[in-house]
Amino acid sequence: MTDPEVVVQTHDLTKQYGEFTALDSLSMQVGRGQILGFIGPNGAGKTTTIRILVGLLKPTSGSASIAGADCLQDARKIRRLVGYMPDDFGSYNNMRVSEYLDFFGAAYGIGRRRRTERIDEVLEITHASHMKDLFVDALSRGMQQKVAIARTLMHDPQVLILDEPANGLDPQARIEMRGMLLRLSGLGKTLIVTSHILPELARVCDLVAMITKGKLRAFGTVDDIMRNVRQRRTFEILLLQHDQVDRVAALVRDWFQQHAAQETSGQTDVTGAEAEMMVRFSTSLNDQAISPLLGHLVSRGEPVAQFREVTADLEDAFLSVAGSDDTTPGSDSQAAADATEAAAAERRSSHPTGPTKETPSR
Amino acid sequence: MNPVIRREFFGILRSPKALAVLVALTAVFSAAVLMYWPADASVDLSGKTSIHVFRIFGYGLLAGVVFLVPAFPATSIVNERNSGTLALLLNSPLSAASIYFGKLSGVLLFSLLVLLCSLPASAACYAMGGIGLWDQLGMLYLVLFLLVVQYVTIGMLVSSYVQSSDAGVRITYAIVLGLLFATLLPAAFIRGTGGWGTALGSVASAIRCLSPLPAVMEIMRHSDVVSTGLKESSNTSGFLLASILSSVIFAGLTLSRLNYRIFDRSRSQGVMTDERGLLARIVRRLVYIVDPQRRKRGIPWYLNPVMVKEFRCRRFGRSQWLLRLVAVCAVVSLVLTFLAATSVTSWGVDRIGSLLVLLQVVLIVVLTPSLASGLISSELDSGGWDLLRLTPLSSVRIVFGKILSVFWTLALVLLATLPGYLMMIMIQPSMWLQVKLVLICLAWTAAYALAVSAAIGSLFRSAAVSTTIVYIVVIALFLAPLLIWLGRDAPFGHDTVQKALLITPVGAALNVIEAPGFENYTLLPAAWWIAGAVTALMALVLGIQVWRLTRPV
Repeated sequence: MTDPEVVVQTHDLTKQYGEFTALDSLSMQVGRGQILGFIGPNGAGKTTTIRILVGLLKPTSGSASIAGADCLQDARKIRRLVGYMPDDFGSYNNMRVSEYLDFFGAAYGIGRRRRTERIDEVLEITHASHMKDLFVDALSRGMQQKVAIARTLMHDPQVLILDEPANGLDPQARIEMRGMLLRLSGLGKTLIVTSHILPELARVCDLVAMITKGKLRAFGTVDDIMRNVRQRRTFEILLLQHDQVDRVAALVRDWFQQHAAQETSGQTDVTGAEAEMMVRFSTSLNDQAISPLLGHLVSRGEPVAQFREVTADLEDAFLSVAGSDDTTPGSDSQAAADATEAAAAERRSSHPTGPTKETPSR
Repeated sequence: MNPVIRREFFGILRSPKALAVLVALTAVFSAAVLMYWPADASVDLSGKTSIHVFRIFGYGLLAGVVFLVPAFPATSIVNERNSGTLALLLNSPLSAASIYFGKLSGVLLFSLLVLLCSLPASAACYAMGGIGLWDQLGMLYLVLFLLVVQYVTIGMLVSSYVQSSDAGVRITYAIVLGLLFATLLPAAFIRGTGGWGTALGSVASAIRCLSPLPAVMEIMRHSDVVSTGLKESSNTSGFLLASILSSVIFAGLTLSRLNYRIFDRSRSQGVMTDERGLLARIVRRLVYIVDPQRRKRGIPWYLNPVMVKEFRCRRFGRSQWLLRLVAVCAVVSLVLTFLAATSVTSWGVDRIGSLLVLLQVVLIVVLTPSLASGLISSELDSGGWDLLRLTPLSSVRIVFGKILSVFWTLALVLLATLPGYLMMIMIQPSMWLQVKLVLICLAWTAAYALAVSAAIGSLFRSAAVSTTIVYIVVIALFLAPLLIWLGRDAPFGHDTVQKALLITPVGAALNVIEAPGFENYTLLPAAWWIAGAVTALMALVLGIQVWRLTRPV
């Protein structure tokens, strides 16, 4: 399978505000019809990147281009190539949805007859035809998101940049949004989507870019990132009785001290949750090295109901990357691993059943 | 202490704007007294100088209350509701009354501080002699205090109805200016005797009591405004009664909304006339002429889409409302001239002409800041500015479309008053040249107000702040020369008044129409040059600001 034609490209993109570096040498490429999930904590530089791509900000150095047009020099061309949906809806009072879309269509120079047809088309694509005669300022958040996407589609852009499109949506609306993104990708549109709801992105994205403190920490497919971002594996041991938890936790600690000299962390984080009859631990050992542990517990007279690995997902990868701010993309430093574990353990303690990763499917 | 009072009062006090207001007012009042403080050893036994200083001080204080006070309560409730904190407050053990009076007291306390800032200056006035402590100074403060209460209750009532803070500011200022000036008009025309005439006259007098202007003028020992014949009752006591009654009513109405009802918002179901039956469509066409529920055709290629957008997103910018506004202006203008023609009043065509000019100036002063102050700031506020920047429309076309939307509205309103002038020319053909010059002055007035509103409004990112500041600036620019004109005999000399009247083209318009008191000045063509220069300067400021906001940085 050949690589898709590159549509969005940034090269060493840097943006500084005085001493503060908002974006630091960001380089990435997105192909035609691909969906890029752009992930990062608040203030990481996502919106800065997006605003440079759409021509609203000027980079301090580096370059960005969309379909061969430079984002700074060819700003007028970029406006026709890109449909941008910012986090703010940009509502106008006392305007009906059809009038709102009509205005943006007219602003893009679409002829009146074609505009009327296009309004129906984009409302159809976004499943928002029933909102045509409603006032935009009276729409709910989810309805506004649909109208905002319809607005970005009015001039039929090659690239759609959506800032937090799933923000504030209920689960049903999120499922619809996901379907819509896939439909748009199917139409050959290139999409850049930011979201804090990472499982949403994992399900629809071809590529993921993780950014923290202005630096690109990881870039690639979800699978690539899961492979490259080294993580400590987390295991759960489900027991049969509450009073086993402390004993089993002690046994696991002892076992690691005696049998796992190669454990790089020096300490294995073993926690017991009596209410759940669960012992959790994390390790960097492989399956072969860890396999004797179960036999050891059984041989010591501790019955085990389940011994399982908690599968890591995009959130774990993100936490790993977010915890390794000073490392380069894909590095496997100890600090990153520790940070991952701390964050993941904290997250799991609030979600005892553990997240279940779903294979990204298109 | 009610926690709402503490938060409101200290919240206002902590803002740099509040500090600036207090410092500026204190400085202005002190400077006014210092300027006229006797510098020689002579004693003014008649107290004439102190009366003049007191008049400037009193009208200045009135202007300060009119400009500054409405801005705070106008955003008080709507801001709380939009930020979600009103729901939290109503859900707390605090009663609706304690929330309301807490907010009311917070704003009132600040307004009292504004009045207190003027106390040293007023004490200096009193020390100069010739002014009564209770019947003048005390009464002035009582009137102003009740005026503050009235404006705060009005602002809070408006704030409980509107959906955005800038709408609250706009509507509150429009009501405040209406109460100040428009309430004087019925009494100016209705002088009935016997039967219905007497009853109508009484109603007109009662309406007149809502304006603080006659009361303040009475306290200043000035001749009464828009009244003729013998004075039947005291303007001051009438205003005191009217302000207390109206404040109680406004407070009651606001209190009745401080519950779940304030969060109710009807949403259109999107039923369009196009989908109704033939009979319903015909009836609506006859009733509305321009049906607001008819689907609009797309924006044609020859129109600036931003201009059409601006008209469509204004509640009263829609065609049906513009038609109504134009109709009302035309009717008022015709009625004024008809009254002059049929000699119902003793006023001649000149005086009616002055009233027409004033009517148009009031319309310009009320409408222009409301329309033009948020041209840029409302877009920045709502996030629409970036969306506009992302379209292929150039920044010049965007701003031009926005300015056109204000221009056409003002032009329609001004054109609607033309029938009145035409009738004046029919009655007195020799007035043709005067009318022509007046219309040029008014066109300059509109351009001037539009340029100032758009340029100053573009300097702020919040629509509510820009609307408030623009109203203050525009009203000050248009009212300050008239305040100076009021002191035309003393303390201001002829030259000073002439220079002040050149600040806006309104003085020139009144001069051309030979309004009483304006005949003796030579204002043309200098007033036009100045208006042109200010308009050009403001256009430059707007251009620079738009350039700053549109360039990628």
